[in-house]
Amino acid sequence: MLGAALPPLLVAAERLASVVSLGVHGRRKAGMGETFWQFRRYQAEDPATAIDWRQSAKSQHLYVRQREWEAAEAVWLWRDGSPGMRFKSDFSRTTKIDRASVLCLALASLLVRGGERIALYGDGHGPATGRAPLRRIAHELIEQDPQAGGLPPDAPASSNAQFVWFSDFLSPFAEIEKSMRRLAHEGLTGHLVHIIDPAEEDFPFSGRIRFEDVPGSMRETLGRAETVHDAYRERFRAHAEALSAFARRLGWSYLAHRTDKQPELALVALYTDLGGTRAQIRRA
Amino acid sequence: MTSLFASLSFTTPWILAALAVLPVVWWLLRVTPPSPRRIVFPPLRLLLGLGGREETPARTPLWLLLLRLVVAALVIVALAEPMLGQPPKLGGSGPLVLFVDNGWTAAHAWDARQAAMSDALTSANRAGRPVAIVPTATALTPNVSLLDAGSALRATRELEPQPWLPDRARAAAALAKIHFATRPEILWLSDGIDQNDARKTAAALSAIGDLQIYGDAPGKGPLALRPAQNEANGFSTIVFRADAHGSRGGEIAAIGSHGENLMSAQFRFADGASVATARISLPLEVRNETARLEIVNENSAGGVQLLDLNARRRAVGLVSASSNDEQPLLSDVYYLQRALSPYADLHKGTIGEALSRGISVLVLADVGRIAGADYARVARFVADGGVLVRFAGPRMTENVDDLVPVKLRTGGRYLGGAMGWASPQHLAPFPDSSPFRGLAVPPDVTISRQILAEPSVELSDRTWARLADGTPLVTAQQRGKGWIVLFHVTAGPSWSSLPLSGLYVDMLRRVLALASGASPGDMGSGASAVYPAFETLDGFGRPHKAPADVLPIRGMEIGKIKPGPTHPPGLYGVEGAQIALNAVGAKTFLLPIRGLDLRTYSGSASIALEFPFLAIAIALLFLDALISLFQRGYLSLPRRLVAGAGTVLFLAAIVHPVPSRADDAFDMQAALNTRLAYVITGIPDIDQISKEGLTGLGQALRARTSYEPMEPMGVNLEIDDLSFFPLLYWPMDPREKDLSPKALAKVADYMRNGGVILFDTRDLSLGAMEGPNSPGEQTLRRLVSKLDLPPLEPIPSDHVLTKTFYLLQEFPGRWVGGKVWVEALPPADPNAGPRPARGGDGVSPVIIGPNDWAAAWAVDDSGRHLFEPVPGGEDQRELAGRFGINVVMYALTGNYKTDQVHAPALLERLGHGP
Repeated sequence: MLGAALPPLLVAAERLASVVSLGVHGRRKAGMGETFWQFRRYQAEDPATAIDWRQSAKSQHLYVRQREWEAAEAVWLWRDGSPGMRFKSDFSRTTKIDRASVLCLALASLLVRGGERIALYGDGHGPATGRAPLRRIAHELIEQDPQAGGLPPDAPASSNAQFVWFSDFLSPFAEIEKSMRRLAHEGLTGHLVHIIDPAEEDFPFSGRIRFEDVPGSMRETLGRAETVHDAYRERFRAHAEALSAFARRLGWSYLAHRTDKQPELALVALYTDLGGTRAQIRRA
Repeated sequence: MTSLFASLSFTTPWILAALAVLPVVWWLLRVTPPSPRRIVFPPLRLLLGLGGREETPARTPLWLLLLRLVVAALVIVALAEPMLGQPPKLGGSGPLVLFVDNGWTAAHAWDARQAAMSDALTSANRAGRPVAIVPTATALTPNVSLLDAGSALRATRELEPQPWLPDRARAAAALAKIHFATRPEILWLSDGIDQNDARKTAAALSAIGDLQIYGDAPGKGPLALRPAQNEANGFSTIVFRADAHGSRGGEIAAIGSHGENLMSAQFRFADGASVATARISLPLEVRNETARLEIVNENSAGGVQLLDLNARRRAVGLVSASSNDEQPLLSDVYYLQRALSPYADLHKGTIGEALSRGISVLVLADVGRIAGADYARVARFVADGGVLVRFAGPRMTENVDDLVPVKLRTGGRYLGGAMGWASPQHLAPFPDSSPFRGLAVPPDVTISRQILAEPSVELSDRTWARLADGTPLVTAQQRGKGWIVLFHVTAGPSWSSLPLSGLYVDMLRRVLALASGASPGDMGSGASAVYPAFETLDGFGRPHKAPADVLPIRGMEIGKIKPGPTHPPGLYGVEGAQIALNAVGAKTFLLPIRGLDLRTYSGSASIALEFPFLAIAIALLFLDALISLFQRGYLSLPRRLVAGAGTVLFLAAIVHPVPSRADDAFDMQAALNTRLAYVITGIPDIDQISKEGLTGLGQALRARTSYEPMEPMGVNLEIDDLSFFPLLYWPMDPREKDLSPKALAKVADYMRNGGVILFDTRDLSLGAMEGPNSPGEQTLRRLVSKLDLPPLEPIPSDHVLTKTFYLLQEFPGRWVGGKVWVEALPPADPNAGPRPARGGDGVSPVIIGPNDWAAAWAVDDSGRHLFEPVPGGEDQRELAGRFGINVVMYALTGNYKTDQVHAPALLERLGHGP
């Protein structure tokens, strides 16, 4: 099960990530990096291989080339795995949870490429960089309990980190607000990615319909569904706006993504929000 | 459509009252909203509380409402047990008696009787009533017993109309002997004909139980055909009927001895008329071919008149030496004409004129000496089978030629003249060897003058009639194929009173019958002569081989006998001299039953519609379920289409159980090229070898002969048409399945029509098992034992098969030495001298051998041989191939090579001829 589902998810995520080219943002100080920072005088503890012979040949001294230290930031990722996420209407080709997982992994892949440290919020591991956490996160996303709640659990996180929250945000607003406050209090800067199925937003129903939620515990029968069309859309818009407004108040970003839209746009927007640096869709 | 509804009836009509509930159902269906579609919707929380403002229930669409109402209506109607047609109204619960008239008078509408019986039995079956069936036309007194409805249904199916008239009194008496616990209900399914017994029968039956009488609808009663008059230019027929109701038309056909329709004519009853006539115009030659006349589509023995030899009409030439036209009563020809014209076409004139008219009987009245060329012509006429009838006269007393049966004395004999002692002589009874035997001799016939025969040894043998004193009156002799008959008196009344009597006509008719090839011994009806039944009619007027219990007719009974169980209508006597006994005689007439209350047959069995109605209702319910599922969103479009297609296929499978194989492609492929073919045995490896073998043979043919066969084809004997293939290769294997009778018939047809089958028993491979009981031969015997195989012989050394292409004396295949059998040739003509080749007519339909030829011929795709011949060597393979080529050439050219032996003679004739 795991082995079967993992590669497609990873492949989809890698393919998505590969269409985005990004610039690595420098830390403006010497360190592990690709870009040149400064030459400094050779000291005894420096390895001989670190000597830049070409620069040293210009003068009496030996010089060591120092590169800019590209400091990686910790990014906590969290994807909502509640049953409602597994919904797919006839107007979309993918479930919300799949789209969220792909976006989450693609973002993780991009971050790893940029040298950032990533971690899945709530899985007990700290932020790390490289391919290993990427695979682990993919495992976690697939293995996650299908009955998980729609809100991030109360888990430790390093402060001054980023927090990316993939969800459909269909829990009661008060609960969402509470979670956001708690995370903000921990010093995290949040990014809400609101995954929306087109049917949830457009409400393209008419006739006599019995609506059920995913666990099947609640139901609502409408004699003529078309009559509530406008009222529902108004409510949905209000909910999204409340979410967006509260995020802005916390200094967080908010991104709405419909599953019938291309995920690349969302990824680029998200990455730009996250890093504050340029990223663009690579044109082949 | 109106009539369809009019003929609809219900067994339990009160259930139809439930139809009144339909409006309530309508209302209920309308107020009950349809089940909602079910949709999973995660943001349900946002939806809560939005509904309810406008909760007007969605209505079921009108068309769905109507569909459901139709289902409800169908179920109600089906429960009322609708029937198409009006079954007899039966009340009561006692036993049911079916009193059935099953004479030929019921045969014309026997279906209606069957339907009525089936209806009555169906309702009796429902009510569990016992049934008795009493047919009125039976050979023996009907054995009446109470049956349950099931066995009664079987009994009625076996009941058939009989070719005689019913005996109702006997049947009613038989019924009266049965003791019924309760008073039975009696249905008299009558033929509507009163034989003076209808009232009595009705009374007798009413005494036994409650009687209902059924009869044919007015104007639908039976028709019957009286014996036809064979007139100068055709048959004159009289059709009659019992009820003179309405005008009614029909057709009478003259049917030949092989069932061919020679001619037909229309008849029409005027309203109120019970007799109609029709005239069938036929030339004499064709008319004499007529075996029967029948009313077309009447299908009853009464509508058929069988014709025997007496009904044939002859062409007769009349030649008289004296012409006495101005005094006809003194002319011989006048009496002959009056006597013969009802039975023959007469041609008067000279001998030459008469003979040129294709006559079969030549009557010469008082012609003493046939002169010159006429003599030779008459002699040839007699030798060729003509009948020469001569009457004596004054000219015959002196100078007579030798075309007479006995030597005649000159002069004559005068009896009872004014100067004679002897009184006019009477006739003696006819001797048994005479064709006149059985004819009554009227006492008032006297002979006053005659010519005498010279006494001789043969005289008594040649005498057909004598006077009371023993002198011959009629003598006859066979000459060649024909007869010469001499009446020793004149054709007119001047010498005797014979021409004034009816006997004269009868004697002449017997003589006419000679012309049809009958021998005198077969003719005439000696009182003790016995005529076994040759062919009898059943009630429907169809001829059958006479059943064993039919008694022969005695000569004395002819004309008096009435058709009945012991003597059903038909032909009696030996072939060529039969007499016909017909169901309807010249004086038969039919009277309708009057004064009784007759119900009419409905004509067809009522059809219970209960199950069709229920089936339609169930189908509609199924449709409704599909629609509901779709409406609730359980079915998506593609799956819906699949389900719909599945339904259609399911229904189609019910309607068309087995679509037959469309083998046009096979036929085209087989017909467009002459191909070698093998029988598909159903055993893959053998079929494969057959195919490869014929492919190899085809390559050899292509390389060496002008015949270039296409790919060989496999033939499934059960399905495929064999007629395209000149040759079939048929390997034998014990695993092969038996052929169906249809396939056997096909194979037999193929062999009869010139196809050749090469049976390969392939059993030398089994070594010691060779012989008549080897598996291959056993299989062969099992498969084709039902076929009509010709006598077989091993291929003789001069058989054409040894010479059709290569000269061969042995026929190896993969194995060597097995005997190869073909149809036995006719024995060689010893006078013809040695001939290089012999063949019968056509080809031998079978060639049977054990040498496994296909294996020797078999090649693979690259042309390599697949099997090694045993004992081996390329010589053997070559010979096997040559045999194959010879067989193919034999199948294609037949005995052409045998004809080639004449080539030198033909060439010689061409070279040296004129």
